[in-house]
Amino acid sequence: MSVRSISHARTKGRGGSAAVYALAAAAAFLLLPFGRPGRPFLTIDPALRPWNLDAPWLWLLPVLALVAAAAALAPLPTLRRGNVLTFAGAGAFLVGTAWLLTTKTPFGMGALLSLCLLVVVVGYGLSLSGRVRADPFVASSILFTGLLVLLLVVYPLVTVLQAAVVVNGKFTLTKFLATLQTNRFILIENPFTPRSEGALVRYFALAGLALGLVWSLWRRQPALRVVLVTLASGLAGLVVGLMLFARGAVPSSLTLAVIAATFATLLGLGFALLGQRTRFRFVKASLGAFSVLPIITPPFILAFSMIFLLGRRGLLTFDILGISSNWIFGIPGVALAQILAFTPIAYMVIQGSVAALDAALEEASTTLGASQWHTFRTVTWPLLRPGLANAFLLTVIESFADFGNPLILGGDRNYLATEVFSAFAARFDQAEAAVYGVVLLFVVLLVFYAQARWLGRGSFVTVTGKPSRRAFTRLPGGLEAVLLVGFAVWAAVVVALYASIIYGSFVQLWGVNGTLTLKHWRDLTNAGVPVFLYTMRIAAISAVPAALLGFLIAYLVVRQEFWGRRLLEFGSMLSFATPGTVMGIAYILAFNTGPWLLTSSAVIIVLSFVFRNMPVAIRGGVAGFAQIDRSLEEASTMLGSSSFRTLRSVLVPLLIIPIVSGLIFAFVRAMTAISQVIFVVSPGNQLTTVLLLGWVEQGQTGRAAAMGTLLIVSMLVVILLLNLLTRRRGGITGEVVA
Amino acid sequence: MRRLFLGVALSLLLFAGIGNAQRVNLLCSPDLAWCEALGPAFKAATGIDLEFIRLGSSEALARLRAEAANPVFDVWFGGTGDPHLAAFNEGLTEFYKPSSWDDLLPSLTKSVGETYIPLYTGALGFVINEGILAEHGVATPQCWADMTNPALKNLIAMPDPNASGTAYTAIATLVQIMGEDAAFEYLAALHQNVQQYTRSGAAPGQLAGRGDVAIAIQFMHDGVKFAEEGFPLTVVAPCEGTGFEIGGLSLVKGAPERDAAIKFIEWALTPEAQMIAATVGSYQVQSNSKTPVPAAAPDLDTIKLIDYDFAKYGDPAERDRLVSKWTNEIFPQPR
Repeated sequence: MSVRSISHARTKGRGGSAAVYALAAAAAFLLLPFGRPGRPFLTIDPALRPWNLDAPWLWLLPVLALVAAAAALAPLPTLRRGNVLTFAGAGAFLVGTAWLLTTKTPFGMGALLSLCLLVVVVGYGLSLSGRVRADPFVASSILFTGLLVLLLVVYPLVTVLQAAVVVNGKFTLTKFLATLQTNRFILIENPFTPRSEGALVRYFALAGLALGLVWSLWRRQPALRVVLVTLASGLAGLVVGLMLFARGAVPSSLTLAVIAATFATLLGLGFALLGQRTRFRFVKASLGAFSVLPIITPPFILAFSMIFLLGRRGLLTFDILGISSNWIFGIPGVALAQILAFTPIAYMVIQGSVAALDAALEEASTTLGASQWHTFRTVTWPLLRPGLANAFLLTVIESFADFGNPLILGGDRNYLATEVFSAFAARFDQAEAAVYGVVLLFVVLLVFYAQARWLGRGSFVTVTGKPSRRAFTRLPGGLEAVLLVGFAVWAAVVVALYASIIYGSFVQLWGVNGTLTLKHWRDLTNAGVPVFLYTMRIAAISAVPAALLGFLIAYLVVRQEFWGRRLLEFGSMLSFATPGTVMGIAYILAFNTGPWLLTSSAVIIVLSFVFRNMPVAIRGGVAGFAQIDRSLEEASTMLGSSSFRTLRSVLVPLLIIPIVSGLIFAFVRAMTAISQVIFVVSPGNQLTTVLLLGWVEQGQTGRAAAMGTLLIVSMLVVILLLNLLTRRRGGITGEVVA
Repeated sequence: MRRLFLGVALSLLLFAGIGNAQRVNLLCSPDLAWCEALGPAFKAATGIDLEFIRLGSSEALARLRAEAANPVFDVWFGGTGDPHLAAFNEGLTEFYKPSSWDDLLPSLTKSVGETYIPLYTGALGFVINEGILAEHGVATPQCWADMTNPALKNLIAMPDPNASGTAYTAIATLVQIMGEDAAFEYLAALHQNVQQYTRSGAAPGQLAGRGDVAIAIQFMHDGVKFAEEGFPLTVVAPCEGTGFEIGGLSLVKGAPERDAAIKFIEWALTPEAQMIAATVGSYQVQSNSKTPVPAAAPDLDTIKLIDYDFAKYGDPAERDRLVSKWTNEIFPQPR
C-alpha cells in the first residue's frame, strides 16, 4: 500500500466537515442576495434575494447542497458517499453558475460564498470517491486554483483573443494576416536599401543548416537526431539573420530578449555565487541590497534616469567622457535598462537553487581529487541548471512583455509589447493589438517549451532532510576576480542612477537648472502621497494571495498527480507570459459587464496583481520543491498528518525562502507594475505608477523624481524588514530540520 | 483550511471601506496639472465631488470603447478633437449643447458642428533649443522648408503618427499646405534629419529641452509650458502656415451621473473655469471668447493658420490611409 493511499484512507472517516460546508453553502444562499444591482459589492438588494428571483430551478442549489450534507452524515459506504457529494455539489455549483451566466446578473455575496463552499464540498466528494487520489484539502485546492485560473486568466484572454479573429461578429483571418504583413510587424526586404535583406537572411539560414548537418554527422549521431539538429540549427541561423537584417517589432523584440536575458541570467548567476562563496563579507552584505534596487523602481523611472546619465547631454557621457551621441535611444539603451531591471529577478530565482546546494557533494568531489573548476563544472553547474533555466525563462518573458523601458528609451524602433499598446491606444485597433498579443504569446510559449525540454532530463534532489552545514568550496580565483569586477561596475552604475533620481527631486529642473529646492516635495505631498498610500494598501493586499496561491499551485503541480495538472501550470503561467497591456484590456472587456462585473473597483486591480505576480511564486516554489526529497512528506503522512498539515509544518518552513521571495516580489511588482494597470485604474482607484508615467511623459521631472525617491526608499525599507524576518526564520528552520 | 477562509473573509472586509460615492467621474486628457486643478475648483463652485483619471486622448478613446456597455466615466475633458469626433460617430458620446454655445469662438464651433464641444485650440509649430543649434552652427529655422537642411541631421524629433495624434495633425497639415505628393516628398527629406519619432506627442519638446535634439515638431503651447518650467526653449510658428487642434469636451453616452456631468460641462466652459488652465501652465487658447488669452500663450492672431479641414482629415479612413502611406513609404527609408 503506497503512502498516498494511506493518506487517502485516513480521510475516510471524516464526513462531518463536508456536511458543515454543504450546510454553510445552503445558508449563504438563503441569507444573502444572489446577485447585485450594480458595481458596489456589499449591497443587500431585496429584489435579488433568491425568493424574489422568479427562477424556481435556482432552488435546486440549496436542495442539492442539503442532499450533500445528508450524504455526508448518513452511514453510507465511503465510495458512494464520495459520489453523492461530488455529483450533488457539482450539480448545485452548475445551477448557480448557470443562473449567473444566463441572466447576466453580476454575482452577489450569496453567489460568491455558496459557490466557493460548494467547491469544497465537491473537493471532499472527489477525494472520498477516489477520483482524485488525495485528501479533501488537495482536491478542493485543485478545484479552486483551476477555477480561479479559468476565470481570471483563461477567460479574459479568450475574450480578447476572440477580438483578433472575430470582426463584426464574424470569424475571419484577414485582419490577422494583414497585420503580420505590415512593416511595423516585420520588414525583411526593404525596398529603400541597395542590399537584399531577404537573400542575406536566407544565407544565414542555409549556413545554420549546413553547420548543424556537419556537426551532427561529425558526432556520428543517429539519423533522426541529425535531421532534428540540422533543422534546429537552420532555425537558429534564420533567427540570427532576422535579428541582424530585418526591421520591425519581431526582430527588435527578439534581439532585445536574447541580449537582456543572456546578460541578466549570467549576472544573476555570478552574483548568486558571489553572495554565497566570496571571502569578502562586505560584498556579501551589499549584494543583497544592490541586487534588489532596480526592481523596487518602476522600469521607466530607471530608464528616464539613464537619459540624464548616459544621453546626448548625459552627465557621464557628455560632461565626463565628452561623447555626444544618441546611442541610448534604441535597442542598446533598452537592453541596458532591461539588464539592470531583470538581473535581480534572475538573481532571486538562481539564489534559491544556490542556497539549496549541498556542500557535502562538492566536498566529496574535492576529496576525490577534482580541481575547483572540475567540481564547479561537473557538480555545481548541473545542480544550478534548473534555477538558471527558470531565470532565463523569466527574463525572456519579462523582456518581451516589458513596456516601460521601450516606451521611454525605445527610440523609433517597434517592439511587440509597445505595439500592442500603440495598436490599442493610438490606432484604436483592438483586433491588431490582439494579433500582436497572439504572436507574443506564441513566442513566449515556444521559449517555455524549450525550457521544459531542457529541464526534463536528470533529477536535482539535494535536500534530503539530513542538512549539511559545512563550508562551500571557494570559487576559483580567476572567476571570483571577474565576478567582483562585474559586481563593482554594476554597483557603480546602479548607485549613479539612483543618486541621479534623488538629485533630480531636489533641484529646480533636472538636467537644466541645478538650484536646490524643496518645491517638488511640497507638490508631492498634495498630489502624490494619497495615491501612494492607496497603492501600498492595494499592493499589500494583493501580495499575500499571490505568494500563497503561487506556492499552493507549485505544490499541486510538483507533488500531486491529477488530471489537468499540466493545464493548471500552463494556465497559471499564461498570465505572466501575456503582455500586461493585453491583460489589462482583457480584464476590462471580460469584467465590465455580465456576471463577473468587477471593473472600476479596487478588487479588479488586486486580482490583476495577484494573477500577474503569482507565476513568480510558482516558479520559485517549483524550483524549491524539485530540491526537496519526497521522503520528508511521506514520513509526515505516515505519522498521520493531513496534506494541509504536512504543507504547513514541513514544506512551508523548508521553503520559507522561496515563499518570502515570492511575497516580496509580488508586493514590489504590484508597486512598480504599469502595463497591466494602465487600463484598469479608475477614478478614485489611481495608482502610483500610472500617475508617475503621466508626470514623466509630461515633463514634470522634479515631481516624478520625488515620487521615484519615495518609492525607492519605502520599498527598500519593506525589503530589508522582510529579509531580516526571513533570516531569523531561516535559523529556526535549520534547527527544526536538524 | 479554516484559516484560509478566515483570510478570505478578512480581505473581503478590507474592501468594504472602498465604496463609491456620488460624484462626477472625469476622463481627463490634457496636462495632468490642469486635471488636478479642476477638482477643487469645481467642488468650490458647485459642491459636487470630482474624481479623474488622466489618459492621453487616444488611450481615452480606447478606454471608452472598452467600457461602452457599462460606462464608468461621465465626461471626457480635453484631448485632441479627432478621437472626440470618432467617439461621437461611434455613439460613445452624445452631443450636449451648452448654454454658453454662442459665446464659444465661432471659428471653432463651425469647424466641429454639433459633434463635440470645443474646449480650447492650439497651433502646431517648432520648439527649439537654440544652444544646440548654435553648437552646430545652424540658423533657427522659420519655415517648414528650412527643416530639410542637411545640417540638421539627427537634430529633429517629432511624434510617430502611428502612436500620436499630434504627428497625424502635422502630416495632415503638410498635405493641406503642399498637396499630397509634395508633402510626402517633403516628409522623406525631413525623415533624413529626424533623430527619433516619439510615441507621445509632448515628448519631442522634452528631448529638445534636455538637448537630445535641437528641434521638436509639436504643439506650440506645450513648448511654451516647457520654456516656462525653465527648459532653454523658444517657440516658432512656421512661415508657410500651420495646422491646429481643437480640444474637445464630450458627455459620455450612458453616463452614470448625467445631471452632475452636465453641471460640470456648463461650469467647464465658463471663463472662470477656463482661466485655471493658464495658472497651471496650459497655454492653449480657451474656447470661450470671454476667457482672457494669457500673455504667454502663442498668439493665434499673429500665426498663419491654415483652413484645416476637420471633416476630411478627421475621418478615420483618411487618417488610416495617410498614416499607412507614411509607415510604408517614409519610415523604412534608411537614414
